[in-house]
Amino acid sequence: MTFVEDETLAKVAEALGQEEAIQIIYILKESNEITDDQIANKTGIRLNSVRKILYRLYDHSLVSLRRSRDENTGWFIFHWKLQPDQLEGFITNQKRHVLQKLDARLSYEKNHDFYYCGTPGCRRVPFEDAMELIFRCSACNRPMMHYDNGKVVEVLSGKVDQLRKELGE
Amino acid sequence: MPKRSDLEHRALSFIANHSEEGVLQSDLWRSLDASSREGSRIALKLENKGLIRRERELFEGRWTYRLFPMRRPASINSIIDCPCLSCPESIRCGAYGAISPNVCEKLTEWLAGLAQAGAGVQGDS
Repeated sequence: MTFVEDETLAKVAEALGQEEAIQIIYILKESNEITDDQIANKTGIRLNSVRKILYRLYDHSLVSLRRSRDENTGWFIFHWKLQPDQLEGFITNQKRHVLQKLDARLSYEKNHDFYYCGTPGCRRVPFEDAMELIFRCSACNRPMMHYDNGKVVEVLSGKVDQLRKELGE
Repeated sequence: MPKRSDLEHRALSFIANHSEEGVLQSDLWRSLDASSREGSRIALKLENKGLIRRERELFEGRWTYRLFPMRRPASINSIIDCPCLSCPESIRCGAYGAISPNVCEKLTEWLAGLAQAGAGVQGDS
């Protein structure tokens, strides 16, 4: 049995397919099993968009699929069902995935000195690259000064610690 | 009549949706369209399974129980605004790849926003 709030369900749907996915998730939640055609009729969303979102949800195991054949036309009918018990696992996996990226970025930030010209839109570069550029920005040609990334490291460390705590690591 | 396990599932979901303030047992069985006897049996069963806790409460002159989930519901708040969550390049992204979290502009912008807001850590926990 799972503990998932409706609000979380909506946020996950939004992350996977914006506003339309939220509508689809709620329709799925209300019905035991439903076809893509019925979802399209109920929501007014185009059938191919409904299918695209359903397959995206299916990729993450958030919905299950049963196939039957229409006796008159011989075409396949797809019956979709929400799997809310998979949502907790999905959230945990996503947290692990984000943690991995943030951890990599944290080590990079900690192990490099950065130089920046201060022009909005220009990129800061690590010391090695700044040396090659003789401390001049390759985009605006202004001199580059040392950039203090202390705040970024602080924010990143906070996020990494928080995610580790949430994942029980 | 709905199956008992189905009712339990719906009850748990209803309680999880009110994790902060808890749910009165009487509100629970009304929302499930069940009888008070069924409601109290389900609540007791969920408590025995360690999924909820019951706190005795005097409500409108009658003793009842307020139900709270034992675990906080799964939440995605801590990463919901992180660009890595819905990034289409996610599969190709790696520390030593052409697309890398080290130099990702979207990630840089997000971090700069967090640092500027002084938010530090937002979300659950």
